[in-house]
Amino acid sequence: MSRRRSFQLALLLGPAVALVGLLFLFPLFGVMKQSLFSPGFTLESFAKLVNSPVAAIVMRRTFVLALTVTALCCVLGYPLAYFLATMSKRWRAFFLYLILLPFWISVLIRTYTWMVLLGREGLVNNALMGLGITDGPVQMLFTGFAVHLAMVQILLPIVILTCFASMVEIDPQLVRAARTLGATPFKAFARVFFPMSIGGAAAGAIICFILSLGFYVTPALLGGRRNIMLANLIDFEVHQTLNWSFASALALVLLAATLVLLGLFRLVAPERRLHG
Amino acid sequence: MTRFLLGVYFAIAVAFLVLPLVLLVPISLTSSQFLEFPPKELSLRWYREFFVDASWVNATLLSFKVGVGATLVALVVGTLASVAIVRGSFPGRRLLHAILVAPLIIPTVILALALFIVFLRWKWVDSVPALIFAHAVVALPYVVLIVSSALRSFDTTLERAARVLGAGPVRAFFSVTLPYLGPSMFASSLLAFFASFDELIITLFVSGGLQTLPVRIWTDLVLRLDPTVAAAACMLIVVSVVGMAVAEYFRQRNVRRYGS
Repeated sequence: MSRRRSFQLALLLGPAVALVGLLFLFPLFGVMKQSLFSPGFTLESFAKLVNSPVAAIVMRRTFVLALTVTALCCVLGYPLAYFLATMSKRWRAFFLYLILLPFWISVLIRTYTWMVLLGREGLVNNALMGLGITDGPVQMLFTGFAVHLAMVQILLPIVILTCFASMVEIDPQLVRAARTLGATPFKAFARVFFPMSIGGAAAGAIICFILSLGFYVTPALLGGRRNIMLANLIDFEVHQTLNWSFASALALVLLAATLVLLGLFRLVAPERRLHG
Repeated sequence: MTRFLLGVYFAIAVAFLVLPLVLLVPISLTSSQFLEFPPKELSLRWYREFFVDASWVNATLLSFKVGVGATLVALVVGTLASVAIVRGSFPGRRLLHAILVAPLIIPTVILALALFIVFLRWKWVDSVPALIFAHAVVALPYVVLIVSSALRSFDTTLERAARVLGAGPVRAFFSVTLPYLGPSMFASSLLAFFASFDELIITLFVSGGLQTLPVRIWTDLVLRLDPTVAAAACMLIVVSVVGMAVAEYFRQRNVRRYGS
């Protein structure tokens, strides 16, 4: 029986282990090797990483961008999730669908829509000139502003949904009880509702931050040369300077940051959220 | 009053999320050489352009081919693994689940670089089967997440009842458990398909000369900006929205039918 069991298990798991082992774990080890061996063990590319002013600037910029976008998404998303969680069930389903809608469309297309809207002859510039706010077209494409705007629009649904998921779990009776016991609406919210919803908001923030760190398409298309992020720098080192070891070292930094943040996520998020 | 202001803010935010995609429709219907809003004259010129230009058509066909291949691989591999993870009891189950789901959250550019390095060594660049397997890794998390959560909520007494009535374990699985999993598998395969169909970064790194639809769009966006992309984007949006609505419908129907 036991031998048969392990045979069954091997049959079920074999393909998955082969696929993920060969095309996920092994290549990741390849990146590690590429950055640390050439061919003997060396810390050369990490030394270069520490000393390179470009890498320092890009890493800092990526970190600041991710932080700003995450903060914006949380501040904008939390009240939206609150409104969603407290509306009637039928409207809620409708708006959830609307908010999820852009989430299903690729980042490439969603970035493209901003290229169209923010261009010199785009809708936003035409509207600004039509309303007489500006005389000539404003340069919005290829600026940090465009990158921020598009990334917030792309990532906001994720933060709304994670906040919302923890808010609908909160028993509305609790807030009502606080009100009956004499708390003002604000105090009932601040002392009862907010502490119970903060876990979901933190989980959403971490996911948002991780995803922002790895953004590639949006900074490349909307940011121009002056807003290159870590992912774009990795691409540049691979395809333009052909310095794979340096690219691998950069990728390892990104991977390490992601893993640390995922560890943090496990601390704040309730168990079930990770395992369905 | 606060509620009213919150409602106004909510409406603006929803518009901010959805409107850019909706505005793409009139933009793609322009007859002019350039992107303009509002279009002076409506025409299907750029949609025709899309279907006449061989590079667009070939890119779309390749994307379909790779998407279907990656979906089949991910579906089979992911369903088998989900059965083992949910039903089996072996050390490292949780770790395995986490690793299978990891490509969803690990920045894609890392995986793209990693695959690029090994594909060059294996001479797998420029190969459709290699691209299919690379995409399957990205599509796999959707299958594992959805199918394993469906399996977890499956009432195993049904399967045991079939066993008691004389079915072998394999037959019980195929005639009781699999029909239950069917809608979840279908929903997850749609998600898996779109994960592959929309994949850009890995494809840019490892595809060599192969052009999938996102790569075709990408090269167009980097080089110039003509409304064919707008037409392509509109069609992609419609396909995604319809596909996802179908997936969601099947998932919910299953929840209703079997309880949650």
